[in-house]
Amino acid sequence: MIEVERLSKTYVDVAVVDDISFFVPEGQVLGFLGPNGAGKTTTMRMITGFLPPSAGRVVVAGCDLDQDPVALRRRVGYLPENVPLYPEMRVDEYLRFRADVEEVPRGELRENLEYVVERCLIGDVRRQVIGTLSKGFRQRVGLAGALIHQPPVLILDEPTVGLDPNQIIKIRELIRELGREHTVVLSTHILPEVEQICERVFIIDRGRIVADGAPEELRTRMVGNPVVRVTLSGASDGTVADLALVPGVEGVTDDGDGRFRIEHSADTDPREAIFRLAVMRGWVLLELAQEKATLEDVFVRITTHDAASADVVPQEV
Amino acid sequence: MASGVRKVSAITRRELVAYFSSPLAYIVMTAFLLMQGYIFYLIVSYLNNPMTQAMAPLQLFFGGTIFFWLFLLFLVPVITMRLIAEERRSGTIEVLLTSPVTEGQVIVGKFLAAFAFYLALWLPTLIYVFILRQHATIDLLPVAAGYVGVAALGVLFLGVGTFTSTLTDNQLIAAIIAFAAIVLLFSVGLIEQLLVSSSAIKAALGQMNLWTQMDDYAKGIVDTRHLVYELSVGILFLFLATKSLEVKKWR
Repeated sequence: MIEVERLSKTYVDVAVVDDISFFVPEGQVLGFLGPNGAGKTTTMRMITGFLPPSAGRVVVAGCDLDQDPVALRRRVGYLPENVPLYPEMRVDEYLRFRADVEEVPRGELRENLEYVVERCLIGDVRRQVIGTLSKGFRQRVGLAGALIHQPPVLILDEPTVGLDPNQIIKIRELIRELGREHTVVLSTHILPEVEQICERVFIIDRGRIVADGAPEELRTRMVGNPVVRVTLSGASDGTVADLALVPGVEGVTDDGDGRFRIEHSADTDPREAIFRLAVMRGWVLLELAQEKATLEDVFVRITTHDAASADVVPQEV
Repeated sequence: MASGVRKVSAITRRELVAYFSSPLAYIVMTAFLLMQGYIFYLIVSYLNNPMTQAMAPLQLFFGGTIFFWLFLLFLVPVITMRLIAEERRSGTIEVLLTSPVTEGQVIVGKFLAAFAFYLALWLPTLIYVFILRQHATIDLLPVAAGYVGVAALGVLFLGVGTFTSTLTDNQLIAAIIAFAAIVLLFSVGLIEQLLVSSSAIKAALGQMNLWTQMDDYAKGIVDTRHLVYELSVGILFLFLATKSLEVKKWR
């Protein structure tokens, strides 16, 4: 659905987007994850046809940006960061305006209008002036505007910035739903967001895609073996050796005070065996917890350029 | 083509909504009408003085006095300053230019809104014609020609203002640049009178003298040279505005 080939954007001598290529199949929900200034917005602006690339090729839904930018724009619904809207217009007025400029056929106007209003849950504010709406409603009105022409591709730049937690949950649900009918690209620097919404994640750093995969995949690929933490009372000197014999375990470290850190291979779960072993040896099991690295760890590891801080401590889940 | 008209008219209508939902439009209209009413009053009382020679009052009204120009030069930048500058400031330009609308359609739509607002400002002045007709016989054709002149000047000045509005995201700066540019265009013609020798330059500047052009309209002379000058310069600036909008995207 979206094809990007060797895309670059250079300002003076600085490459903001540096030779990136990717392909997004139809119906995928893709997240751009990266620190501020990584080039997420610039990449999106180039895909939407707002910003001409310095080099490279963009094809969206079969339309080449170079050959027919207007046709490309027709197939993309775009919600820029901070949701620019016309504050003096009423919601209905605004959506009709968007329908006009997006070339929604007049016969389908009413139908599309009802659809986006229902979809984005803005029925209650249709007559209201946009300037008086809360941030959450403005976000939804912006989304409704981007959807009005039923574009195959939806591009959302930081769609949850500035919302309160309840509003964030609602917008995420909405985006997930939209992902069933549209190809969605969204950017964010909030990590749980991509884990919740996206099927695929790009971690973008300094204008390059430094990681690409499903959130789950990235987690295991970047963090290595999963870890189980055990705290035992009554452990002896031989405990480390005993634990190391449990099937699947690849390493045991004694952290003192009866605490052990057990690394095991990703396809096994040694917790049951550890429990049985503890019962057999008469150890009292005070704690048994599985640690999972979050995407946050992956993110920090990849985008931190300082070698010292690259050593990531996984968090408990 | 049909969809182009629809998009342009959508942009124009949206812009008019924006004009009339801000207090600025009403302030401008009120000030304009107060000013025009005062000028009209001055003209009528001046002509009522038996010492003055008989003249057509509406001929003086259309560009015959410095007040006409002072206010027009000041007014146009206020009308045009928000057109593109505000879209750039609020970021809505990004939404607009990622829909299937060309830069040219945006400029034309915006300009037409400004032009419609400008004409709406002048509309109530028709009442002066009505008042005069109650008291005297007046020749309507020169009056009509005067309005043609006002409209042509509008195209020229509003075109310049639309262009300067694309240069910045600050309305005030857009207005000031527009004011400077319009004053420059206006005064270029006046320089003619400072030149002594009858050179080609003097003749050319003479053709660009907006004051004498407006005088001609007010006398009932619709000179196509004047019309062509005003309309073509206006359209040139609309073209420049389109190019400026295209170039701005590159940054």
